Amino acid sequence: MRVLTFGWEFPPAQSGGLGFACQGLTQELLQSGVEVIFVLPKTQDSPYGNARFVFADQERLLRVRHADLGPIPYQQANSTIDVIVGYDESGKPIIKSRTIIEEAHRFAHQASIIAREEEFDVIHAHDWTSYLAGVAAKLATGKPLVLHVHATSFDQAASNNVDPAIFKIEREAFAMADKVVTVSGYTKNIIVKKHEVPAAKVEVVHNGCHPEDLPRQAPALAELKKQGKKVVLYVGRITIQKGVDHFVRAARRVVDNDPNVMFVICGSGDMTHQIIELVGSLGLSKNFIFTGALWFDDRDRLMQSVDLVVMPSVSEPFGLVPFEALQNGTPSIISKQSGAAEVLSHALKVDFWDTEEMANQILSSLRYPVMRQQLVKEGKWQMFNMTWRHAAEKVKRVYQSLLQYVTT
Amino acid sequence: MLTVCPYFHVHQPYRVKKYRVFDIGNDTEYFNDGSGTDLDNRFIVEKVANKSYRPTNKVLKELLDRHPEFRFNLSFSGTVLDQFEEYAPDVLESFQELVATGRVEILADTYHHSLAFFYSVPEFERQVKQHERKIKKLFGVKPRVFRNTELSYRNDLAKWCEDNGYLGIMAEGWDKYLGWRSPNYLYRPAGCNKIKVLLKNYKLSDDVAFRFGNKEWASWPLSADTFASWIHAHHGDGQTVNLFMDYESFGEHQWEDTGIFDFLRALPEMVLRHPDTSFRTATETVEAYDVAGEYDVPDVLTWADTDRDLTAWIGNDIQRDAIAATYNMEQEVMRTRKKKLIETWRKLQTSDHFYYMCTKWSNDGDVHAYFSPYQSPYDAYIAFMNALSDLQLRVSQVAAERKAKDSAKAAVTNALEVIEDTEEMGDEVVSASDRPKQIESVLAATVKRWRQRISGVLSFFRRG
Repeated sequence: MRVLTFGWEFPPAQSGGLGFACQGLTQELLQSGVEVIFVLPKTQDSPYGNARFVFADQERLLRVRHADLGPIPYQQANSTIDVIVGYDESGKPIIKSRTIIEEAHRFAHQASIIAREEEFDVIHAHDWTSYLAGVAAKLATGKPLVLHVHATSFDQAASNNVDPAIFKIEREAFAMADKVVTVSGYTKNIIVKKHEVPAAKVEVVHNGCHPEDLPRQAPALAELKKQGKKVVLYVGRITIQKGVDHFVRAARRVVDNDPNVMFVICGSGDMTHQIIELVGSLGLSKNFIFTGALWFDDRDRLMQSVDLVVMPSVSEPFGLVPFEALQNGTPSIISKQSGAAEVLSHALKVDFWDTEEMANQILSSLRYPVMRQQLVKEGKWQMFNMTWRHAAEKVKRVYQSLLQYVTT
Repeated sequence: MLTVCPYFHVHQPYRVKKYRVFDIGNDTEYFNDGSGTDLDNRFIVEKVANKSYRPTNKVLKELLDRHPEFRFNLSFSGTVLDQFEEYAPDVLESFQELVATGRVEILADTYHHSLAFFYSVPEFERQVKQHERKIKKLFGVKPRVFRNTELSYRNDLAKWCEDNGYLGIMAEGWDKYLGWRSPNYLYRPAGCNKIKVLLKNYKLSDDVAFRFGNKEWASWPLSADTFASWIHAHHGDGQTVNLFMDYESFGEHQWEDTGIFDFLRALPEMVLRHPDTSFRTATETVEAYDVAGEYDVPDVLTWADTDRDLTAWIGNDIQRDAIAATYNMEQEVMRTRKKKLIETWRKLQTSDHFYYMCTKWSNDGDVHAYFSPYQSPYDAYIAFMNALSDLQLRVSQVAAERKAKDSAKAAVTNALEVIEDTEEMGDEVVSASDRPKQIESVLAATVKRWRQRISGVLSFFRRG
């Protein structure tokens, strides 16, 4: 069985959760004997893994050479990215701005050409920026189409001001798909309600995770620890979707009860200033530290040094943070409005808006170390059953269900 | 002769409400959830009364009236009896009517449905005594056969029961300890000489308690006729078939629409139809038969799960932490001699609290295997530990007050001694003019100290 897959990003190129999810799934599909042709919109150096990669900016492409895609693929449709459209006589790149939606259309145009050149059985497209490509490939070849939903326009906007252009693409693409895969029941629920996709057409395949412990880093925050402070961490983008404001309000309640608790915010985003102002207006400046965005070892080091991680998302299709925290030996409080809450039993769960309960859970976790230890110990056991292999097996069954009438 | 010894266990805990960190030091009521949900104890008792206690007692009363041979046993936790008195007195009356027939025996138990035996034998003894007084008061009888929380059992518990005059004790008839032998005989607990152990026939008991309404089960739907024939099949290879189950199996675990009440209504007649088959209470059973051998249980045995041990209650770290924290308070709590504090502490010993913290099967995603009114084992632990923290605070406050009082008393005594000494000295050596001044300065210093302490002590001083 051969699958033509469209994605937007792939490690090691600067990549968010989408790229890592595509990598985890692709590797296990290959292990289980599925051939994967992975199409990316731009050329990148040796992506990890053994899939055959096709870059949509090569050869067939007349002008567009390179799209400078950041690690955040879920911006508004009209936000712009810089694109190299060609080179002048001296070999210097000619850079123009394009909107993401234009880029997605260009990707779709290329996809229909690539689809005619390649031989395959199923088409699989990841997230809205690749949906048009998937649909184009289907129109070109008539092969069955699977759309994989890692996030929706509703998550990004936390239900306010949903980008109508993205919503339109999602809705029309779902209608064209033969099967839609979501990363959680939570997300399935959204697309059934908001995009009116028939529930029977939607299959939930929870993301896998990597259960192995991450290497121990040198301890951070030593000075705070020496003073007997407890430290609670938020890590992620600072946007309306992530619920950081609720986290800050809960912090106020926590500090009223125990002034010895410190809060660290690790990340950046369009709400950073608002959050800093909120911290100030609630009189919490002494209890908050902003680190900016940290990656890799720095991020692990921070996660290993704190007592507790909070993921207060307003809307989170899956949510890797609690799993990353477990790999670093730290327990989490996660919002019930997340896919992770469906699969991880060993985290405390709270409605993102219930800051009173969030504060109660933070204080209780800090009071009772035995509970923190157990959340980590049993959470790690549970992660061993949540591998990408399980996810790949489910995806393979989806492919097979679409091919059952196809004879080769 | 083959006899059937049914025993139904009646219990409701005092569930801890969603007690938050902010409530510690501010709210001394832990069990008064009024939300009309599964944490609301009154709501639960009223619900289960309608679904189970009232209709089942009606059937049982009819059966006792109709069949003079029909007999069975009941065990009650003190916590359920207290809740009946408060929330459903008519249910308690209907139980009293059953017991008044003289054909319903009540078993001994811990008052608070606790695992105290495995943590503190003195506390266990106090709870058994408290239970005995309650049963005497409400039913006018004295239990003679013992059953422990969740049917938990061990050789030394049997020995304790023997030493304390019980005729029998109940336990799970578990293959690991029975081997090839049948649970349908009486056995002698290892290390005992007189007491006999009645073993639960888990196959037949669980057919009713767990499998009755399960449509996937090969024997569904189970008729009283068929079930009676399974009992009769033990003629010749047993003397007593012990059917032990939760009373709430009738109507609550198995809903009315499964046909459970019709089954119960028809069962005695079907059992009695076979000649040489009858019913016996636990005491009658123990008195009727000799033991067939020894039952040796060195480790805790319960009636729970496939493991038949205590792992559903103390299998993970938070459970062990919570139960250890509870029993570690024993001395301090008892020293307060405050009835309310001791009673609250005991309500927190009820095994259900620890059961709600079980994570045993959550790793398989089988979260519904355990019933809990909390959204997660961790929510249960947080509510419990916060309530326990508040109790600890109250206990230490009482201890501090007592200590302050004692030291104030000691100060008074000292001061009086000083005064006496001074007076004596005055009589002997100190000149008359110095005397008042000296006494005055001693008094002034002492009074100043007292003022900083408790005002009540001042009056004591004035009297002194």
